[in-house]
Amino acid sequence: MSENSKHPPDAPIPARFQVSRFTLLADTWMGRLIRFGGISVVAAVIGMLVFLICQVLPLFSGAKLEPLSPVSFEKTAVGFGEDEYGELPFTCDQTGTLVFRRAYSSSASAPGAVVKTWSPTLTPGQKVTALRTYPRDGIVVLGLSDGNVIEVKVTYKITFDEKGGRTPQPQILASPAQPLGRNLLPCLDVWSVKGPNGHLVICRQQEAGRDFLTAARLPEKFASAGSGLPAPVKAFNIASDIPELERVLVPSTADSVIVIRKDGEVRVYTIDEEDVTFLQSFRPFASLPDSRIAAAGLIFGNVSLVVNSFSGVEEVWSIYPQVQPDGQSLRRWGKIHDCDALAGAGKGIFPAVGNKCYLTVAGGRMQIRNMTNGSLRWDAPAPTSEIRQVVFSRNYDRLTVLSADGVLRRWSVEDYHPEASWNTFFGKIWYEGASAPAYTWQSSSGADEFEAKYSLVPLLYGTIKGTFYALLFAIPIALLAAIYVSQFLRPELKKIIKPTMEIMASLPSVVLGFLAGLWLAPIVDANLLPLICILAALAPAALTAGFAWSSLPQPIRRKVGPGWEFAYLIPFVVFCGWLAWQSAPLIESTFFSVKDVASGQNISDFREWWRQNSGWSYDSRNSIVVGFVMGFAVIPIVFTIAEDALSNVPDALVSGSLALGASRWQTVWSVVVPTAISGIVSGIMIGFGRAVGETMIVVMATGNTPVMEANPFNGMRTLSANIAVELPEAAVGHTHYRALFLGACCLFALTFVINTFAEILRQRLRERYKVV
Amino acid sequence: MNPSASRIKVQPATESEGRKDYIRIQDYGFWYGAKKALDAISLDVPERRVVAFIGPSGCGKSTLLRNLNRMNDLVDGIRHEGDIQIAGRSIYDPGIEVISLRRRVGMVFQKSNPFPKSIYDNVVYALRIMGVTDRALLDEACETSLRKAALWDEVKDRLNDSALGLSGGQMQRLCIARAIANRPEILLMDEPCSALDPIATGKIEELIHELKAQFTIVIVTHSMQQAARVSDHTAFFYLGKLIEYDTTEKIFMNPSQAQTEAYISGRFG
Ligand SMILES: Nc1ncnc2c1ncn2[C@@H]1O[C@H](COP(=O)(O)OP(=O)(O)O)[C@@H](O)[C@H]1O
Ligand SMILES: [Mg+2]
Repeated sequence: MSENSKHPPDAPIPARFQVSRFTLLADTWMGRLIRFGGISVVAAVIGMLVFLICQVLPLFSGAKLEPLSPVSFEKTAVGFGEDEYGELPFTCDQTGTLVFRRAYSSSASAPGAVVKTWSPTLTPGQKVTALRTYPRDGIVVLGLSDGNVIEVKVTYKITFDEKGGRTPQPQILASPAQPLGRNLLPCLDVWSVKGPNGHLVICRQQEAGRDFLTAARLPEKFASAGSGLPAPVKAFNIASDIPELERVLVPSTADSVIVIRKDGEVRVYTIDEEDVTFLQSFRPFASLPDSRIAAAGLIFGNVSLVVNSFSGVEEVWSIYPQVQPDGQSLRRWGKIHDCDALAGAGKGIFPAVGNKCYLTVAGGRMQIRNMTNGSLRWDAPAPTSEIRQVVFSRNYDRLTVLSADGVLRRWSVEDYHPEASWNTFFGKIWYEGASAPAYTWQSSSGADEFEAKYSLVPLLYGTIKGTFYALLFAIPIALLAAIYVSQFLRPELKKIIKPTMEIMASLPSVVLGFLAGLWLAPIVDANLLPLICILAALAPAALTAGFAWSSLPQPIRRKVGPGWEFAYLIPFVVFCGWLAWQSAPLIESTFFSVKDVASGQNISDFREWWRQNSGWSYDSRNSIVVGFVMGFAVIPIVFTIAEDALSNVPDALVSGSLALGASRWQTVWSVVVPTAISGIVSGIMIGFGRAVGETMIVVMATGNTPVMEANPFNGMRTLSANIAVELPEAAVGHTHYRALFLGACCLFALTFVINTFAEILRQRLRERYKVV
Repeated sequence: MNPSASRIKVQPATESEGRKDYIRIQDYGFWYGAKKALDAISLDVPERRVVAFIGPSGCGKSTLLRNLNRMNDLVDGIRHEGDIQIAGRSIYDPGIEVISLRRRVGMVFQKSNPFPKSIYDNVVYALRIMGVTDRALLDEACETSLRKAALWDEVKDRLNDSALGLSGGQMQRLCIARAIANRPEILLMDEPCSALDPIATGKIEELIHELKAQFTIVIVTHSMQQAARVSDHTAFFYLGKLIEYDTTEKIFMNPSQAQTEAYISGRFG
């Protein structure tokens, strides 16, 4: 019995079949950890994408307008004005009487309550015959029946009570009546504009059925009553040659006058200190059956004119350099945009300040449009068919409309990116001052009235150009090197070369960019043609060397061990390079001799020859340098991945091919490369991704000019460099800032599309050439 | 060990046999670096016969086989002495390109190694490498070699499918078809059946019987039965030396060396 119960020495031990709790726990928890990590990565990528999209989306929403409480004034009101916060607007009727009403309720009075009224003091017999209000400036000009002009300036004095509540108090300053037009003829219309060149006051009168305009340049202080009686500096008689005058537009620069005739002709006069000169006339709707102009308005910046026809056609005319028949380039007016048709005849065009938007009243609708990109930002029915005056506040945050029923309707405007539209970023746009539509990126400038230009097309172009030159240089070298190292090179040398390449991959791109910009670019610049000659000579030299090698008799060849052939190749190639270098001056003087513009002498300089014969520029920091240095960043990556893929091709396949009598090159080409192709494609794609996203090298090694030229001898600006250069100076939330993010989205989309495409290709290739 | 190390004469087995010293190996020694893998091997392979190399692992069978088409050339630090002649001409003759030698001497490897291409492309690979582009010629060569390799009926409907979809035995036969497509004179086979199941092995053995009429075949095998079944002559190697070389019948029935006897009867190896 005891013998039976004794445990045999090699019997199974049940305890050993148990899996320890720890192993099981570790297994579950590691599984969870890995799943968590994977999901986090995916979530991070999606989160980044969502963030980018959130930054970009506001660019494409139109204007949002919320109605504010309307204020009812008298039906006789023809013009209005308001303070900065729109608390105490006033209207002005035909007699020049100003009525101030409270827009919001306050402790003092209910909304709509009259706070103040004011009438001009006139001598007996004087009557107000014309008036014009400039609501943003608080200026009302009154033209009197005897040819005199009064300018009234409304300011608001703000007082704060002890609780911090603010009470605006209107203050009215009226200038004394100033003789401006012809004596005793009534003023029919008056304008007053303060520009950088002074204060221009214009009045229209009629004598014997003919219109004439008188312009006077006044000293600054015209409006501040009590400070003496300033006399007009100069009076001009503009318009004896303008019969049929319809309307007059005075730019806020006060240096010209645009007169529109009843027949639709626009005449432009410039006014300087001395004289009025006729500049140009044009008829925007000459080709329409009804060529009259229904409405016209000058866009902020004073170089563009929006005109409406009675049939609802809207056009933008602008002043830009145009080549005259005599070959001279002069700034003249010409049409730059055909806008979308309006719902009916234009009834008024009211520009915003600070941007290129304007409000058009036509066909019972009010539409806010952007002049530059043509986008419709807001569209709403007009409150009454006649709109007397429309004004955007200075900050483009409030819209006030005085309609024929005497009601002042107000909207708060939320339009943070009026200059943004799909067209702005990706379309060809005719900007003011340009002589043709173009893709332009120019986000800032010294000038105040500068309009930022955010076309991403030149940046996309630059990105692709930089990538192209980098890959052009890197891919052949990296792939040939990978094939050579994996298939032909001695293993002991391979052991040195591979890690060296990997170290190269880890070189910071700032260092590469620094070297490229400060060291390589000047060298390339100084030795351009010799370097081109060497490059051109290398490939033929290597091929010749290879051919010569293969025609050497076997016994000689066998002396060089397998994998050492390069030892024979190198001196030969070096010699060819030296030869090319030496012969470069001869080539330069033979083929690239040009007349120097400065000295008039013949010089042999390839760079000068390029400038004169290609029609392109030549920069020392050019695409060749960028391509070369970026290639340096790309080569190690492509090389490493491709070399791994090639080395992993089973030896059995190589032996199989060799045993069938294939040469080594045939084996590489028809067995090794196809088998490794999916890895090679990955390598190329990762290299592509690196080149597309590469930033510092491009920033440092090019001039970063966003030009669109295939010229290899100038620079480019890539999307990534653009972000790096401009993001620090872009205000958060500003159009510029969001445009940079849109650039980032484009970069993302570009790499995403190309990588997806490459991945599909890679999968297909892998399916086709997969090894058991 | 064979003390004489001199040529072992082999009697013709049948009258269809051609030259008796078609492949002539003379005092052939071979080193991998400092390691001597073959030592003074001398043997003649008669034309259109099957010769089997047997011996325990590491005795140099593959090394000798791979020297016949100079597949070892790419290995580092190799050295040889003596000579190998095929049809009376040394394979180390400077006038002979190693590529043309390999076209004459086809090879089938232990592990089948079809290229990741279609069946068709695999078979005509050698012809394409030689520059043949005529489609009719390629088609014809493809069909004849697949028929010779007894694979035609199994794959004729899917010539354009990947060769990697075939079974192990089919792949090995495909490799044979590929090796004979450009009509070599000699076929070297290094344990062609070691990774195959008995049915596939049987098919390949049958195939070897048929190919014998056209090719001189040298086969390395680990399986004594296989050597006995397919070969006319058998060479027994041990530690880099040729111990005994004779007709297969003689080697298996009545070996003259004690080591051969011991190996065949399974006492070592
Ligand atoms: N490429 C090589 N480099 C160095 N030694 C090798 C190489 N191939 C084989 N050998 C050695 O040569 C000897 C013979 O090998 P091999 O011919 O493959 O034997 P078998 O095929 O008979 O099993 C073995 O000792 C092996 O270790
Ligand atoms: Mg072996």
